[in-house]
Amino acid sequence: MKGFSPLDPLLHSQLRLAVMSLLISLESAEFTFIKEKTGATAGNLSVQIDKLSTAGYIEVIKSFKGKKPLTTCKVTKAGITAFETYVQALKNYIE
Amino acid sequence: MKEELSHTESLKIINEMISEAKNNYEQSGSFYFLLWGWVVMVANLGHYFLDKFTSFEYPFIFWLLTFPAAILAAWHGSRQKNKSQVKTHFSRLYGEVWVAIGICMVLTLLFMSKINFNHSAIILLLAGAGTYLSGRMLKFRPLIFGAFALWLAGIVCFSLPMTDQYLVGAIGILAGYLIPGYLLKSAEK
Repeated sequence: MKGFSPLDPLLHSQLRLAVMSLLISLESAEFTFIKEKTGATAGNLSVQIDKLSTAGYIEVIKSFKGKKPLTTCKVTKAGITAFETYVQALKNYIE
Repeated sequence: MKEELSHTESLKIINEMISEAKNNYEQSGSFYFLLWGWVVMVANLGHYFLDKFTSFEYPFIFWLLTFPAAILAAWHGSRQKNKSQVKTHFSRLYGEVWVAIGICMVLTLLFMSKINFNHSAIILLLAGAGTYLSGRMLKFRPLIFGAFALWLAGIVCFSLPMTDQYLVGAIGILAGYLIPGYLLKSAEK
């Protein structure tokens, strides 16, 4: 019988999981793109992105596009590992 | 937003987001094929006619067109980069293929005297390699046929005198860049 490893609580949340799933397939994405694709509010998304960034799962790059501030997010190696572990744990539960 | 997720919900989110990301491939490949196709075809033909039918001292003058073309390509690239909210692994790799091919082309031109001025043939082979990879990456068959046309033109060039190589080069570019480029443009719409 397979042992059940606990699901990473940081990823086991609707919005954070959505952000990570989106970023895992991309090189990088702007905040507005993530907001549009996840349908989240700017405030909530900002909080969740901060949590993922503090955990080292994503890298947040602040810059400017013309005169407007621009936030770009990119998944890190630690983030990829965490995501893979999460998916593996999920598979174990479902099987 | 609720925080408790079932396992099936988790999987659903992962699937949905991955397919959202997949639908965002940039589609601007045809611009570069058409830009370089026209510039290189005109330069090849210009060089051929000046060399073959006139006594003009600088038949290579038409190749100066590549400088404004490079500026235009860089300007277009940076505009696309600013417009796009997302960068995919695919678009990065697609661009890198042509950077590598471009470097090889410039190096070939720099050392053309060392390869007995068979640079047209080598450049056509390199263009074929880039076009083939682009065709495979975009899953667009006309580009793959275009690559074979460029490789064929390259092979023919090896057995021709330098002047005639420019004419074959122009035909190769028409078949390998311009025709697939226009087909790609209409497929992008």
